Amino acid sequence: MRTSIEQYADSALDCISSLPCEYAEIRLGSGVVTSIILSGDQIDSVSSGDTTGGCIRILHKGSWGFVTFNDIDDLKKHVKTVLSLSKTIHSATPSTVAGCAPVRARFSTNAIQSCRDISIEEKFNLISAYNDILRNSNFIQTTRAVYNDRVSQSLFVNSEGSVLTYDKSFCGVSLTAVAKDGSVIEPFSESHAGYGGFELARHREESAEAVVKTAVDLLKAESLPGGTYTVIADQRLAGVFIHEAFGHLSEADFIYENERMRSLMSCGRKIANDTLTVIDDGTLPVLPGYIPFDDEGVPPRTTFLIQNGIIHGHLHSRETASMMGEEPTGNGRALSVMNQPIVRMTNTYIENGTYAPQELFESVDDGLYVVDAVGGQTNLEMFTFSSGYAYRIKKGKPGTMYKNVILSGNVFTTLNNISMVANDRKMFGGLGGCGKRGQSPLPVAFGGPHLRINNVLVGGGH
Amino acid sequence: MLDILNNYRSACGWFDAIYAEGESLPISFRNNHIYSIIGRQSSGFGIRANKETKTGFSYSNVPSRINETVRRAISLTRFGEKEEFHVPSAVPALQFEPYSDTIHTFSADREIEQAEAVIGRIVSAFPRATVDMGVGKSAGQRRICNSNGIDCAYRHSSYSVSISATLVSSDGLRLSISEGVSSLGPGNYTNTVDRLLWKLEHAQTIRTIESGKIPVVFTPKACASLVGIVASGLSARNVAKGISPFAGKLGEALFNSHFSLDDRPLIVESPHSYPFDDEGIQARNKTLIHNGAIAGFISDLKYAHRLGIEPSGNGSRGYSSLPAPSFSNIVIGAGERPFAEIIGGIKAGILVDQFIGLGQSNTITGHFSANLDCAYLILNGEITGRVKDCMIADNLFSLLADDMETSSDCLWYGSVYSPYLFFPAINFTA
Repeated sequence: MRTSIEQYADSALDCISSLPCEYAEIRLGSGVVTSIILSGDQIDSVSSGDTTGGCIRILHKGSWGFVTFNDIDDLKKHVKTVLSLSKTIHSATPSTVAGCAPVRARFSTNAIQSCRDISIEEKFNLISAYNDILRNSNFIQTTRAVYNDRVSQSLFVNSEGSVLTYDKSFCGVSLTAVAKDGSVIEPFSESHAGYGGFELARHREESAEAVVKTAVDLLKAESLPGGTYTVIADQRLAGVFIHEAFGHLSEADFIYENERMRSLMSCGRKIANDTLTVIDDGTLPVLPGYIPFDDEGVPPRTTFLIQNGIIHGHLHSRETASMMGEEPTGNGRALSVMNQPIVRMTNTYIENGTYAPQELFESVDDGLYVVDAVGGQTNLEMFTFSSGYAYRIKKGKPGTMYKNVILSGNVFTTLNNISMVANDRKMFGGLGGCGKRGQSPLPVAFGGPHLRINNVLVGGGH
Repeated sequence: MLDILNNYRSACGWFDAIYAEGESLPISFRNNHIYSIIGRQSSGFGIRANKETKTGFSYSNVPSRINETVRRAISLTRFGEKEEFHVPSAVPALQFEPYSDTIHTFSADREIEQAEAVIGRIVSAFPRATVDMGVGKSAGQRRICNSNGIDCAYRHSSYSVSISATLVSSDGLRLSISEGVSSLGPGNYTNTVDRLLWKLEHAQTIRTIESGKIPVVFTPKACASLVGIVASGLSARNVAKGISPFAGKLGEALFNSHFSLDDRPLIVESPHSYPFDDEGIQARNKTLIHNGAIAGFISDLKYAHRLGIEPSGNGSRGYSSLPAPSFSNIVIGAGERPFAEIIGGIKAGILVDQFIGLGQSNTITGHFSANLDCAYLILNGEITGRVKDCMIADNLFSLLADDMETSSDCLWYGSVYSPYLFFPAINFTA
């Protein structure tokens, strides 16, 4: 029987309650990961392993000292190390942190079917069944079907006296098919995951079927000629777009560090049409971006980033909130106990507008219906993201399918170019996640309704 | 560890294990000032067991759980794939270690002083610049052992510096340049700073060039990202899965004869080198693309067996994962003319240094498409300013097969040692 991580709470509190520093916290974690990866007619790996570890972070004379370790039994030793490291540094512009009222609480994932109660056989059989669907076409060269569950316990204590524990269960699948015809090779994927039990991995047959169909359809799709198009984005692309293009801009560490960004992102500034409202919300259960508290012990909230076209709020850690004189929003997140919390998104989405999706299509005489997203990246001012595929819209009707559709543009111009927002929002999240400052993949979710965006630059051949 | 594992010899056909431990001390600067200092300690072990030709795998980072971990690995073998290869018995020689004793001379105080001087230099040249920096050391050891009697270990060390400077002009234009360097022990990084300043200076005027097929030169840094598209096709894993365009093309001249690519794990001064791989196979340098022709693939034990080739010594893993073929140092063959001479002959083209979104698309067949995060206009042989809000999209394999040239001067970026690459015509959209 594994000992509970909660038993370390008193000694951890004792270690940091009277340290000579402005703020201190200890995070400990212990968990078991089970992973099954199938590929084509082969089993790539079946593995299960456990890790235990912890970290101590202190703010000392305005700079951060941070240590990570595997051995969680001698916390006093690690406290000594972090104190001695911190003494070597002094900042001319000291960091500060926003305080919060101490909280003592226990949280646990509400799993319908606990992953611990499901045998490896059952997990294996489920993912094998999905893999069989993925392989069900003569054009399929190979597949990758991944099952993953992580069951863990974590403890958070800080010098304010908070003690938080979390029994967490994350579960999901990722389904990829690679179609091939002659020299043309086309992969396509979908992933589904969240906080819950084995039920999150079940009933994904339709998704597997859609993945094979799309991969095979892409073989016949043509490359799109580069140019500027009127675009209708589907819900998934809308979600990736708002995560990449605006979510990252709303992360207050970027804003705080740059004078120009502070003015571009100041609250009250009108940056889009009235119909656009954007929200980050870590309180939404099950979704991969759900957190009962962030990695600085702050509860999540519903943060309006854009309300009716006007910048309304930013995403904060304790540090950025204090430095900018705003309230912490519960967005100080770390990939694991091996990483420092930094400002991250949770579940980020565009709120529904008033149009029926059909009205968006009817408004386009010549344009593109761009579906799904393979990935996205931003340098804050400019973004690019790759859609899964696209259809040419002529007189309101989607026709020819295209592939290699890479959208790119200036974030502010593009936000202004969102001319219609539909009323059919959906949320998405899988086994992957978001990357920032070397911490990847952090579980997040994103979503939105169908959008009409004018004048989008699309890369392609001539 | 081998003593305990040997108790399970009769419970499985073969086993192998990796034990990795390390310590690191990264110091970070944010927004022109010191931000944090981190002490990291980590260790862990992974155990792969093969029973009745099937493989199972488990890992832990709690030393007392070794017996539990072996038993878990063995119990998972019943779900594993039939894998009929064997772990090696030839004990690899320890020709060198990617390690330098000078790593112990790393002094946080001195590194902080040096970094502050670098930030001062950048800010005095560009008063609006915000500089983020990371300076750090790491050291550790890797041990590989197996049921055929191999038990070998080596030490490794690394000193690394990364610098990123961002300028946002009053009209919202953003320019961010990053540079980095790594070595086995603390070193001087003035050249890296010089290069970063050169890139900032030449990006101060915004220039434009019309869409079309235009001459493009990629810097070694851009090449280090682009080369991944070619490299993935040279992995025995992708060949075995039928998703490498180079499968069955061994010996065929697919590219221009000016293009060669090596994997070199024996470069003594690189932190990406190793004396033997993570499955205990002796490391060796090898040419994978020779004058345009496919000359070999990188492999681990599993995929070498599957393709019926000798393992190339490229099995790579962390303690919590199974091995997979991976590159050590990628070296791209140099050409005859220096970079300066190559751009001297370009009437109107671009020099590309940083992409956004490269590799998001399906690059298996060589297609790529990316926004140009940092690129310069070349006009009558001179760098005349920055081009932005534009994309390039083309097929890298066709480009490498057609007219192209590599420069005589090369630079390290991460584990890639690359020249400048010149292509006379690439699709460009502004």
